[in-house]
Formats: sequence, C-alpha cells, structure tokens
Amino acid sequence: MSGEASSPSANGPVLAVRGLTVTAAKRKILDGVTLDFPPRSLTAVVGPSGCGKTTFVRTLNRMVELTPGLRVEGHVDYVGQNIYGPGVNPVLVRRRIGMVFQRPTVFPMSIFENAAFGLRLIHEPEEVVDRAVTEALVRAGLWDEVKQDLDRSALSLSGGQQQRLCIARALAVNPRVLLLDEPTSALDPAATQRVESTMERLKQDIVLVLVTHNVSQAARVSDRVAFLHSGRLIEVGPTADVLERPKDPLTEQFITGRFA
Amino acid sequence: MENASVPSVDNIRFDGSARTRWRLGFDRVIGWLLPLLFLVAILPILSLVYYVSARALPTLSWTVLTSTSPYRTDALGVPIIGTFEVMLLATLLAVLFGLFGGIATAEFLSDRVAGWVRMSANLLVGTPSIIIGYFGYFTFVLYFGWGLSYIAGVFTLSFFMTPYVFRTADLAFTSVPRHIREAALGSGAKPSQYILKVGTPIAFPQILTGVFLAMAIGVGETAPIVLTTQPGVLVPQTVYSPVTFLTQLIWENFAQSQSSGLQVLAFQAAFLIMVVVIALNIVVRLISSRYRKRLEGLYA
Repeated sequence: MSGEASSPSANGPVLAVRGLTVTAAKRKILDGVTLDFPPRSLTAVVGPSGCGKTTFVRTLNRMVELTPGLRVEGHVDYVGQNIYGPGVNPVLVRRRIGMVFQRPTVFPMSIFENAAFGLRLIHEPEEVVDRAVTEALVRAGLWDEVKQDLDRSALSLSGGQQQRLCIARALAVNPRVLLLDEPTSALDPAATQRVESTMERLKQDIVLVLVTHNVSQAARVSDRVAFLHSGRLIEVGPTADVLERPKDPLTEQFITGRFA
Repeated sequence: MENASVPSVDNIRFDGSARTRWRLGFDRVIGWLLPLLFLVAILPILSLVYYVSARALPTLSWTVLTSTSPYRTDALGVPIIGTFEVMLLATLLAVLFGLFGGIATAEFLSDRVAGWVRMSANLLVGTPSIIIGYFGYFTFVLYFGWGLSYIAGVFTLSFFMTPYVFRTADLAFTSVPRHIREAALGSGAKPSQYILKVGTPIAFPQILTGVFLAMAIGVGETAPIVLTTQPGVLVPQTVYSPVTFLTQLIWENFAQSQSSGLQVLAFQAAFLIMVVVIALNIVVRLISSRYRKRLEGLYA
C-alpha cells in the first residue's frame, strides 16, 4: 500500500480546495473557499456555529452528498486528482479519505471487526487485515487497552475508547488524509486529552483536518488555523499567527469570545 | 424579579394549603383507580382464556393433537399440519416481499416515492381481511386458475401478512442512528455493504419482532383462508390440494354443525391458536429485550 501514486509534486498539497461553493436551496453554506492542506500537517477549522465548518469537512470526502439537496461547485484535488471530477466514484473517494464524527460511531461488532471494517470493504486478505488492524490500533493509541480482548463487542468500550477505535478504523486503510469533525465534543477531559495526543502523533505522517468549536483545542494541537465565517474563509495561517495576531477583526472577535 | 403574586420564600407553608392537600388526595385516588381500570381492561381477555380452556381442555388428549386419520371427526392432526404448512410458506413469502420492500423503501427510494409506498402499506394493514380474501379469490383462485387450493391460501395469507413485515423492516432500517449510517457510508461502504454489514445487525431484532407479530396475526386469520381454500380430510398432497386451517375448522364447525362434539373440537382448535399467539408474543418480548441489551450503547 505504500507504493501509492506519489503526487506530481511530492511536497505539494495533499488536498487542494479551489473555489468551493455549497448551495442549499438558494442559501450559500460555503462561498468560494480556497485552501491547501500540505503534507504532515494538522489544520484546525474553526468558526462560530453555522459557519459551514462541518459542511466544509464533509465536502473533502464527498460525504456532503449524503445530505440531499446540496449543490457543490468548485473542486477538491486529492494529490492532483479532482475528487469531483467526471467519472469519480464517491464510494472509492471515501475509502481513501476517512472521517471521524462528533459522537463515536462504532458498529455493533467486535473491536477487531470495527477496526477491520474498511479493509473488509475492499476484500483485503486475512493476513493484511491482521497486520493493518494491529498497526491502526497502535497508531490510534488504543492497542494496549484492547489487545487482550479484540473479540469483545466494541459497544462495551468507554466513549473515549470508542472514539479512538473510530480513528483506528479510519487509519486501517492507511489514508493520507484523516477528517475529524469535532471528535472530542462528546468526550470528558481525560478522554479528550488522549484523543488530542493521538492527533498530535498522527500529524507527524498524515494530513489531519480538525473541525472544532474550541479555540483552545486548536491552540493545543494544530499547526494551522483556518477561520470560517458565514461560509467564507476569512483567514488562514500558522496557529500562533492567527490566534495571537489575527489580521481580520472578525477573527479577533471570534477568538476573544465576542461571539460564540 | 419583584412580583406581588409570588409569595416570598419566608411565607411558604410546607404542609400545603387546603387546595394542595385536596390535589394530593385526588392524585392518590387516581393512583388506586388506574390498576383497577387495568383489571377491567384485561378482564375480557382473562374470561376468554377461561371460557375457551374450560371447554377445550377436558377432552384434549395427545391423540386429538396428533391423529391424522381421515375417518375421525375428533382429531386435529390434519388441521394442525395444514396450518403449519400454510404458515411456513406464507411467512417465507411475507418475509421475502416485506423485507426487500422495507429495505428498498428505507434505503433506496426517494422520500416522495417512499411516502406513497408507506401509505399503501398502511392502507393494506387497515384493509379488512375479508377484502384481502376476495382479492385472493379473484386473483389466485379464479384468474390464475389455481382453484380453492393450498397454494392460493398461502399466497393470499402472505399478501395479508406482508405489510406487517414491510412496516417493521422499513422502520427498523430508517431508525438506525443516522451517525452510524453515515459512518459506514463515510468509510466507503457501498449501500449494499452498509445494509449487510451494519444495517442488518442493528435492524435484525426489530425485523424478527415484526415477523413474529405477522405470524401471530396470520395464524388467527380466517377470511383469507376460507375464501381461497377448501378443507380436506387429508394433509395436503400437492400445492393444489385441499388444506384445513385451524381457524377454518372453527368457522366450519360452528357455522355448519349443531353437534356438540364438533363444537368441542372447535374450542380445542381455538385453544391451540390462543396458545400459539401467546407463545409468539412471549418470544417477541424475549427477543427484543435480549437484543436491546446487546445493542445498548449504540443509541447513547
């Protein structure tokens, strides 16, 4: 799996979003967003409720199409290939660009089978599955807690463990991009901390896109911050720059908590 | 918050005003009344169970239940086997149509079309069984030329049972938590893979409940069978054979005979149906409570 098509420019962005507009019945949810995601980075997408940040992250693996009535314009290039291009199968896109949601979404099956879910979909042979599941659980920081009982129902895990299992499930197919939509908003502080340290380890080798409403979380784990407001990208840059020296008054108002 | 009508905390009496005490008293009366009303509500059922049991049990024996001799008028072997065979095939057909229809409606049809399909299913559930019986008579018996036969009864009864299976299958799949469904599709599952690997394990207990309830309703039905089959003294030999259904025996024995022996047999048939329906309902209970425990945490 490591021999996957290397991009035309090895240091170019893994994901490049160009003029992305999402429209729902006349209302623009996203308005001309253009943004690059360089390799080995964690970009936090922040903004007030309803700014379109969840919709934004859902456009990055074409999950947005599961919501009827939304129209997507513009394009998203994944290592040079437009995922909205003609003939592109969204199912195949989602197999390569995984997503973790606000609430843990474990399936009613064993811990092992949950982590193996994506691999089963593409009919990987058993020995590949075994190895990839172990590796994914290690990378998600869950291995030591579950290695004794991989056959236990995943529903018996705690919320924080379930969320790391969901991260492992997305990692098992060895993706170059992992999308996280407020992955800690349903977790207690201790579980949040463990998920955050998992994210910090993962950003050493893949692209993470983290949607969060929590500015201090963005400050703790991200390299870059993108601030969305009313569907428009207001500002993007290195975390310290955006949070400490915002250029736009809207950004400043947001991070100083003047609107929620 | 200065408001004259709200008494200050210092003036509140914790033994309550006369009005409050009256209310609490009324509350207690209602609390006693409700179990009493519940008793009144289940009294008809209890009396029915007693009435049927008292007439069926004294002469109910193993021979009555098992003898399939065509020369006996005091045995239930033939209608028991007939009922079992009709129910088996009718349930299979109902599950086949109901399950596929329910999954298609929940997962593949547009909201608009699904709405129409659901409304039709609800209409079918509300249709009197005698009308389903006439539909079966005109369609299977006459138009298809199957005559009054085992197969015509099976198809008509399955037609009656399908909407119950359909409705639970549809509901079971639409009530899979949205985030679970999105997570599966978001990991790149094709719709068919989602249905098989994630949706079905979650929906299964509810579907099974629907199937058992459809069976409980089907086994007690009379009109769809009476109008499409004819009772026989033998167990069905071919799909066009006569077949006796338990409810049909009850109907025939009461409508066409004054003999008390035949009426006792009818009570015994009624007793059997009653036992089967109660057993099916208990099974439904057991299944749903067992699976609810297993899926605990999924809806958290």
